[in-house]
Amino acid sequence: MARGDDLAQIIAGCKSGDAACFSEVVDAYASRCYGYFYRLTGNKDISDDLLSELFVKLVEKIKTYKGGSFESWLFRIASNIFHDHLRHKQRQRKLLDSQVKQLGSETTESRASDSDRIDRLQVKVARLDADTRELILLRFYSQLSFKEIAAMRGEPIGTTLSKLHRGLKRLREMME
Amino acid sequence: MNSEKKEDLRELFERFSDSETAEKAAEEVRRGEQVLGDHPAPEPDEALVAGIKLEIGARLSHGRRSSARRVVWEAVAAAAVVIVLIAIGSSLFRTDNRSPGLVQASIIPRAVWESDDIATDDLDLASFKTEIEHIEDQVRMLQSGENGKNGDIAVEELEMELAEINSDFWKG
Repeated sequence: MARGDDLAQIIAGCKSGDAACFSEVVDAYASRCYGYFYRLTGNKDISDDLLSELFVKLVEKIKTYKGGSFESWLFRIASNIFHDHLRHKQRQRKLLDSQVKQLGSETTESRASDSDRIDRLQVKVARLDADTRELILLRFYSQLSFKEIAAMRGEPIGTTLSKLHRGLKRLREMME
Repeated sequence: MNSEKKEDLRELFERFSDSETAEKAAEEVRRGEQVLGDHPAPEPDEALVAGIKLEIGARLSHGRRSSARRVVWEAVAAAAVVIVLIAIGSSLFRTDNRSPGLVQASIIPRAVWESDDIATDDLDLASFKTEIEHIEDQVRMLQSGENGKNGDIAVEELEMELAEINSDFWKG
């Protein structure tokens, strides 16, 4: 993965509209971002859509990136996209009251149609509360420091540490 | 996956708890994250990644076209502004130049000026011209006392006649 000066050059290339530089960013971050979306939604199709949306947003917003941790900036966009997706689903749920259970379970439980693709971890992750789940997955896939994650979430680092510690401990216990 | 994190977890936890508790918490976090590492999420399809790259290329291309179009429109707008300014300036300039001409035109009665009947207008103008010449002759005669009348009274009569002619003239 590109680091330091290399990453800075790639980002500069992206800002000047160089498609090859965007391709490098996609190659570097697609896997982690996809994992983040997949573990949050448990749905491959939705993850496909969210990943596409993320990189389209990247193209639109790259000029607003003013330096600092690129991962932090990128995963903030990813997190916003996921929350937009949740809000969209909630609106749908209100409109389609008869499908409440199916839509409501999408982010917490696997769809039956996806069951063959869902691993055991996905089932256990889905049992965590939404905030803890997102925190654990953000930390794991973004590789951000606790300090960066706390800043991103707008909470004290002690709160972030505590939530993540409890969540990971519970996840490990469920997996054992 | 998390090998790149530079933080010392134990040190972080020690800010909020004693050393033994911090060590235990840091270990639990490491083991919890190890569980995630042992169960990797699916990778995005190659077709999906290729599709994303194509989409990015298309958007960049569209963006460049939009930029070019914007530049053209900006140039057109700037040109339009320049043309309008030139037109305004030219109009003002022309107004100044033409003012003597307008003064001259104002001598001719509006009805004659606006009329399309050239033949009738020429006759009217010829008639006015004859009368003016006649009056000029009378003035000269009065000034020289050739007609034998009292000059003052004759001049008053002449002024009245001139006023009447002037009135008729402006009525067209």
